[in-house]
Amino acid sequence: MKAAEEAIRSDAPAVRVVVVEDDHASADVLQRRLQANGMVVSVAHDGRQGIALVEELLPDLVLLDVMLPDTDGYDVCLRIKSNGATAPIPVIFLSARGEVVDKVRGLSCGAADYITKPFQAAELLARIDAVLGQARSPRVPRLIRPVERSAGSRMVARVTIADRSLSAHVEQLLAPKFDVADGEVTPDVLILEGNAAQPADAPEDVPVVRVTAAHASQDRPELTPVDAQLPRIVDLVVRERDLEGDLEAAAEALIVLASAIASHDRPSQGHSERVAARAVDIGRALGLDESTRMTIRLGALLKDVGNAKLPASLLAKHGELTADERAMLERHPLLGEEILAGFKRLSGLLPIVRHHHERLDGTGYPDGLRSEQIPLEVRIVTVADRFEALLTDRPDRPAVAEAEAVRILQGAVARGELDAAVVAALATQIRAAGAK
Amino acid sequence: MKTRGDKVTTKVVPAHETDAERRHEHRFQVSESVARLVMRTTANNLPLSRDDRPYQWSTTTYCDTVDWSIYRQAKTGSAMQLRIREYHRTRPREVLNPGTAWIEFKDDEEDTSLKERFGVPMDSARSFLRGEPTLPNLDHGLAERAAKLLKGGARPVVVTQYNRLAYNSLDSSLRITADHNLMYFALPWAAGDGDEDPRPLGTLLAMEPNVIVEMKWYGERPHWALDLHSYLQENTKQERPSKFIVAMRWLLGDSGPEPK
Repeated sequence: MKAAEEAIRSDAPAVRVVVVEDDHASADVLQRRLQANGMVVSVAHDGRQGIALVEELLPDLVLLDVMLPDTDGYDVCLRIKSNGATAPIPVIFLSARGEVVDKVRGLSCGAADYITKPFQAAELLARIDAVLGQARSPRVPRLIRPVERSAGSRMVARVTIADRSLSAHVEQLLAPKFDVADGEVTPDVLILEGNAAQPADAPEDVPVVRVTAAHASQDRPELTPVDAQLPRIVDLVVRERDLEGDLEAAAEALIVLASAIASHDRPSQGHSERVAARAVDIGRALGLDESTRMTIRLGALLKDVGNAKLPASLLAKHGELTADERAMLERHPLLGEEILAGFKRLSGLLPIVRHHHERLDGTGYPDGLRSEQIPLEVRIVTVADRFEALLTDRPDRPAVAEAEAVRILQGAVARGELDAAVVAALATQIRAAGAK
Repeated sequence: MKTRGDKVTTKVVPAHETDAERRHEHRFQVSESVARLVMRTTANNLPLSRDDRPYQWSTTTYCDTVDWSIYRQAKTGSAMQLRIREYHRTRPREVLNPGTAWIEFKDDEEDTSLKERFGVPMDSARSFLRGEPTLPNLDHGLAERAAKLLKGGARPVVVTQYNRLAYNSLDSSLRITADHNLMYFALPWAAGDGDEDPRPLGTLLAMEPNVIVEMKWYGERPHWALDLHSYLQENTKQERPSKFIVAMRWLLGDSGPEPK
């Protein structure tokens, strides 16, 4: 522990290692050796504990024994590599099994190296250095959260220009309005020269201004000259991005409106929020990016906004609907689309609003779309909506438990109504939550 | 090869492999130690398969329809599997990657099967999945049956990945394989757009804790293979349905009786 504390005190980025080793004596020796070399070491003695530690700590490296009491190291390695959050973490196998087939198998599971016991400490450390060196190459994103800045602080520009004098000139021009970023702070804007490639470690969603030392040219209108106008132009680019944030705020206002309408229907109070949270979780499990998850969230929150155009008496009615009433109710996706169509920025949500009652077999409404015609985002919201509805008491049936709700949805999958992979993602989440 | 303006198009001639006749196929789920013994015995009698690198990753994407017609038939013991197979040195996290794809048709009946496959560029495999006539209808007419399935809405739905050790007799009458690290993944139903991109694997449905040993043969087997078969039967943990059936059971949460 002392070595780890020293590493932290020295301000050097301590290497965090998880050791998964069932033999306590071996684990202890290894832990001491690594700590003596400035590493922060956590030890697990079986596979399950090891996976839990890796998911919790997101270490820089995993040292993994092959023979474990509850499972084998190959299984643990594959689980680490199958989880998007832990997949980039390098794994080194340490094993007494030294046959070629064992090594080939270990490496094919995604391990960065395979070291046979008994090993020399110097060789182990050299291999760890080599593996960490590769893992830190610019193409591999490190698992470090960006440094957050306090509200009200000055805007930050990151200037990445190879020509030093041009770079200094740009920084000087921007100085009255912008701080110049180092690598740790997430910038508000990125300044690049000409067609230079974006740095590999630059965040994807930051706006870019491309500059040129030459005067403005009609041939290259995308390049901004480095002159007195540069700070104003960079400022405008950042404000445009902020404006998009304001539009999201407008969407939030619509969500409040939709929630207010839903509150007239007691059983559905809070339903949209629960559906949105559930749908986002499913989207994350399916590896969808943050932007798509945001679309799913907003779409789930606004999917029933069309109810605003339906008679309140119809929404509040308890008991069986007549055929006419049902037909009217089934118009709410179209009405919702009409309401939101005027908001250009919300066009990405319209398929969710219009199609969240469609079914893969074509028996849904309003368009009777089939399988591929229904976007994945819509299928996710549909599953989340039906799942959350099953958990709530309704006039015609009592609420069911989560596991039972999953079984009911699997029945809908078997009938061809829902996407099996989406329901499977939900089922895995419910199973995992139940196991904790 | 012909030129059209400044574009060059190459006619794709698919590699083609097919079983000469229906093969018996028995599967065994055994422990790691039993699998090691079995594969040592096998290695003493059969050469490593030329086409299968030891422990390379085999990724198989299986198709089915919205109403699961292939799975329902498979549960009765008789069905034709339609699948795309890819081989990689390290485990990919996507399917339908650029490179060579093997379009495979496997006609299962009781304990025998008939397999035919075509090696094509992935673009051609994608065209095939869209229902375009990409393949010649050879030998057993399986390609024609597959085209009907696709016309009926069959699409990729579930994926298996595993490391395979394969041994093959020179005349292909006997093949013994051991599959390690067998994993089952869901694959979300394809959206109409983005059809040309590799598709990310969905949720990990399950991992097999043991090793799946398969023995496939036609004609007479040598004595050592008969002995090995008996040894496998004695040490089998569980009767095994096909990987497709196991994958679909995980996908659909189907806990019905296991087909033989």
